[in-house]
Amino acid sequence: MKYYFKLGVILLLITAVASGVLAVVNNYTKPLIAQNKQKTEEEARRMVLPKAETFETDSIEIQEAKVKPDPLMIQKESDKSSYFKYYIGKDEAGEVTGYTFVARKYGYSSNIETMVGVKPDLKINKIKVINQAETPGLGANCENEDFTKNFIGRTIPKLLVDKDGGDIESLTGATITSRAIINSIKDGLQNLKQALSSSDNNEEDKE
Amino acid sequence: MELIGRIFALAITAIFVQNFVLSRFLGLCPYIGVSKKLDSALGMGMAVIFVMTMASTFTWLIQSYLLIPLKLEFLQTIAFILTIASLVQLVEMVIQKTAPALYKALGVFLPLITTNCAVLGVAILNINQELNFIGAILNGLFAGLGFTLVLVLMAGIRERLDKAELPASMKGIPIAMIVAGCMALAFLGFSGLNI
Amino acid sequence: MKLMNVFSKGLVKENPVFVMALGLCPTLAVTTSVKNALGMGFAATFVLVFSNIFISLIKNFIPTKIRIPSYIVIIASFVTIVDLTMNAFLPEIHKSLGLFIPLIVVNCMILGRAEAFASKNNTITSIMDGFGMGLGFTLALVVISGIRELVGAGQFFGIDIMSAGYKPVLVAILAPGAFLVMGLLMGLLNLKKEK
Repeated sequence: MKYYFKLGVILLLITAVASGVLAVVNNYTKPLIAQNKQKTEEEARRMVLPKAETFETDSIEIQEAKVKPDPLMIQKESDKSSYFKYYIGKDEAGEVTGYTFVARKYGYSSNIETMVGVKPDLKINKIKVINQAETPGLGANCENEDFTKNFIGRTIPKLLVDKDGGDIESLTGATITSRAIINSIKDGLQNLKQALSSSDNNEEDKE
Repeated sequence: MELIGRIFALAITAIFVQNFVLSRFLGLCPYIGVSKKLDSALGMGMAVIFVMTMASTFTWLIQSYLLIPLKLEFLQTIAFILTIASLVQLVEMVIQKTAPALYKALGVFLPLITTNCAVLGVAILNINQELNFIGAILNGLFAGLGFTLVLVLMAGIRERLDKAELPASMKGIPIAMIVAGCMALAFLGFSGLNI
Repeated sequence: MKLMNVFSKGLVKENPVFVMALGLCPTLAVTTSVKNALGMGFAATFVLVFSNIFISLIKNFIPTKIRIPSYIVIIASFVTIVDLTMNAFLPEIHKSLGLFIPLIVVNCMILGRAEAFASKNNTITSIMDGFGMGLGFTLALVVISGIRELVGAGQFFGIDIMSAGYKPVLVAILAPGAFLVMGLLMGLLNLKKEK
């Protein structure tokens, strides 16, 4: 009995030391990881809206959840009423040069995040896929310029993949990925439109 | 009704569309190592289904009620692998005591399962995909079924390959890889399924 | 002289991937590009060298009964360190390796070396063994990914090297291609050995 007790203590000791070391490493890397994420987003924001000098953030609350809750997934509190966060890009003179937001949707095998830059007239200026882990060779090609250039100048009704009767050429063998990106951008644009019409109602008339 | 539909979709995804072995490349060592005979493949498959379901259950509970509340997510890898290792040990002892017949059939495979990356893989994937408790258990079960399916298919083919006239240099693992490649090619067809 | 032998045997003669068929899952899963292969190779080498060092240092204090769990804890700690540091400093590669970084824990190559080598040898030889095996693993990964990237995307290390008219054979980069390339390479190596 005493022998087994000793075994337990040794194993516990090793695990405790290991956890301590990991806690230190985690403490050190955690801010760096968060910083990295911010940096990628900041760079992408500048890329999709190069004319903007400064960015201001704003958000609106979207009332009803758009997707039905999945019975097999963890239900998050934020699903019930979520916030749509967007950035307003302004040039040196303080004129609004456009808006950016991150569109997010589950594609074929990963959550795809796309940074979308929109001109003041709600036409897409440029998009950049900032986060995805789709199949290499198929869905992962969504990062390529060949695919993202399809989106320049589009508006909400023009966002349709060729398989659904639109004219955005879908990625070879990766319709699901293409569709996820397009739909996430469409949702984001709709939210942006709603946000702008509610906040800028008195300033200027958007259509 | 919607629940049944979702469960069906989860099953098709785990077994066919994103099969653990042929599309996610998890559990290849036992896939190549234990697929020489049909009955041992079946035994291994059953043991994996059992351990994967159990591991999904326990790792999910540990992640949700221990690691997340205590903000210890960085200990995930250590916690999960220790859970799986002790679970395998426990299962081995329980089966040995209560069901000697089952132990005789599965016993030799159980120690091998600790280092089967499909088990740790499914535990981490459950968390990454944000599945809830029921979802995680079912995903573990279906992933195990998918593993068993391709393992048994492979064993059936390899039993016949023994009698085929192959160049000596391709015998054994090389031809098993080629066969696996052909099976993966067939399973690639499932990826067009829209669920 | 002996040390050099310990180091170089891992590269070719006892190559963990081609000869011993260990660590197959990451070998096939991450070899879609040379960049990923190098990332994986170095991550695994780091874990292998450091776990070898620690295990050879404390081998005399660990009772045989809890040998394996202790090794697993040590390996898992180094894997978590690699996971966190890669996420902080090489986020791109970390993202594309994804699940397979935590899965280094169950890479049979690492536990295998701990058990078969580091637990029986002194620290210096264990370091050499870790480096040899780790570089052998990296070498194998780079060879496989080089072929797959060249055939499947017409690139090497992300740079186009095939002429513009080359139409990539997509299948080489998809799941089946991994199995086919691996099988053919192993067959070729066997053929060479026989001569």
